Amino acid sequence: MAQIEFIHVSKSYGDTPAVRDLNLQVDEGEFVVLVGPSGCGKTTALRMVAGLEEITGGEIRIGDRIVNELAPRDRDIAMVFQNYALYPHKTVYENLAFGLRMRKVPKAQQRERVEDIARKLGLADMLDRRPAQLSGGQRQRVAMGRAIVREPKAFLMDEPLSNLDAKLRVQMRAEIARIQKALEVTTLYVTHDQVEAMTMGDRVAVMRDGILQQVDTPQRLYDAPANLFVASFVGSPPMNLFEADVDKDGARLLFGPTQLDLGGRSLPELAGRRIAVGIRPEEVREASGWDGARVRGRVLLVEALGAEQLVHIEVAAAPLERADLVDAAGQPPGPSLGVEDLERSVTLLGRFDRHLLLTPGEAVEVAIDPRLLHFFDLETGLALPTADLPAVAGVAG
Amino acid sequence: MSSVTQIAPTPVAPVVTRPRSRKRVRKFGWNALALVVLFVMVFPVYWMISTAFKPGHDILSFTPQWVPAHPTLSNFTDAIHQQFFWNAVKNSLIVTSVVVLLSLVLAFLAALALAKFSFYGRKPFIVVILGVQMVPLAALIIPLYIMMSRVHQVDKLSGVIVMYLTFVLPFAVWTLRGFLLGVPKELEESAMVDGATRFGAFVRILLPLLGPGLVATSIFAFIQAWNEFIIAYVFLHTPEKQTLMVWLASFTTLRGTDWGPLMAGATLCSLPVIVFFVLVQRKIAFGLTAGAVKG
Repeated sequence: MAQIEFIHVSKSYGDTPAVRDLNLQVDEGEFVVLVGPSGCGKTTALRMVAGLEEITGGEIRIGDRIVNELAPRDRDIAMVFQNYALYPHKTVYENLAFGLRMRKVPKAQQRERVEDIARKLGLADMLDRRPAQLSGGQRQRVAMGRAIVREPKAFLMDEPLSNLDAKLRVQMRAEIARIQKALEVTTLYVTHDQVEAMTMGDRVAVMRDGILQQVDTPQRLYDAPANLFVASFVGSPPMNLFEADVDKDGARLLFGPTQLDLGGRSLPELAGRRIAVGIRPEEVREASGWDGARVRGRVLLVEALGAEQLVHIEVAAAPLERADLVDAAGQPPGPSLGVEDLERSVTLLGRFDRHLLLTPGEAVEVAIDPRLLHFFDLETGLALPTADLPAVAGVAG
Repeated sequence: MSSVTQIAPTPVAPVVTRPRSRKRVRKFGWNALALVVLFVMVFPVYWMISTAFKPGHDILSFTPQWVPAHPTLSNFTDAIHQQFFWNAVKNSLIVTSVVVLLSLVLAFLAALALAKFSFYGRKPFIVVILGVQMVPLAALIIPLYIMMSRVHQVDKLSGVIVMYLTFVLPFAVWTLRGFLLGVPKELEESAMVDGATRFGAFVRILLPLLGPGLVATSIFAFIQAWNEFIIAYVFLHTPEKQTLMVWLASFTTLRGTDWGPLMAGATLCSLPVIVFFVLVQRKIAFGLTAGAVKG
């Protein structure tokens, strides 16, 4: 086991930068997930650790060794590929034993270790089969087994679950997390799926355009996103975002006809500024029985999810103009047609109790707890420090 | 008055049969064409074999005999006892086996470079490889002869081997490159992370997966080297150094052609190609990489 450290690491392909000045430390035995939309540089970062990609600048350390110039085989790491990369002409046994054979482990010991791993992963009956004769889930387990059996210093995993169907993915997600905890092997895991990132990682590193946005525990990432991108990327459904003005006293938020009283959370430092406001869907509540600030809206769509319902509510407010600051894929649908002032309305997503009867077109009042609002700078997208909530640490860009 | 309603039969038959019969005619046409092609391909081979078993007067008779009436092996004994037969067999075996082996090794390495490494001029190189195959052999014979004589390779088996390689390699490299491109790069990367060197990954992972490609290439190289006539005829003068194809030509003399032994010799010469093909064809199993990656 060893820690992995990126120190000012950068990578470019010709003039195109893929990773920019990456600083990240994965502690011994820690499970860190690199997450971000496709093309954000996460896989490149992982492949640089494996030695499959040259490093343009900076250094990568595994344990106390700088590995920049080391061949992949000398780094003592194991990698699970997105497409498993099982050797098709070898049996499951030979696949599992390949790494041990390359490292000249005695034959008897090879057999012992392979059989032990195969038993643990439920592959004991399939050792003589070839990859083509296995199901997707079984292939995935062979790929995992091949990494585990080597007892390497670190695991690198490149979207290992993305080829599985939804049910199997949930199952394997737990299994990988369980194996990692049991073996306590330093793990760097790449995914584009933020649910996977949140559920598996001890810490999650969010990347965008080759730049690390924030590294923190999943909960902190969710509760205190460092910028608009992280706010919009983490969480499913994503955070509701819109523009609003802070009044001169810093006591109220103004958007559309709404004057939202901030109550105890006054923002004198932001007084008179136009800012981006965010609120998580589960914090958008139905207003009956709520004596705090309310926002009027109209129900556009109700999506029944079984345990709860996802309600799209059209509210008069200005949508974010800077679309480049947020995760494009995570944005809710735009305002409905037939609304007079299209420019000035946003769709708030709310997670409501399933027993609440709501129909599209119905006027509704939602309760907003000002203490749960997130504020961001409209220019830089960074989270704004307020008197009651300090700015988030761990931001790198 | 009868109240029974009569239901007219639905006129389906003509609507359905017309396209079906047209389809049948078309199918028959294709089958007939295939039979004609088969006949054109197979008849010379059949005639060669049947002539090899006919005695001399049957061969030259004006009424063709489709099946040998008095089969004999004398043509074969004559052919085998013809001067330089065993020399020619030995020479052909040497030339062919060296060409097959060298072309496999060289083509594998060249294909590896073209498929797995990016270097300046790679694309033009790939196109040129294909382009040189378009030049007709006859146009090259004289320049090649001059070139080879300058390096003292005329009338030597090594000279012919080099020449054959130049004709076999482009196709072999092109074919193997195609097979290599079909192998996902993650396989060798995975092997490298697992502890193999780059070359080790090529040999342990890529080479076994190239089996079908190597077989296809070797069959091609074998046929090319074994059956080649023009180069061998032009470059090899000494009778002891001639290959089987040139030796076969020795049955045609100024006094005429000795058809019986010639056909027997030709039949004998065809055997190795057929045997080689039968031996290796089972290895041409496509889809060997199935299961390597999620499909």
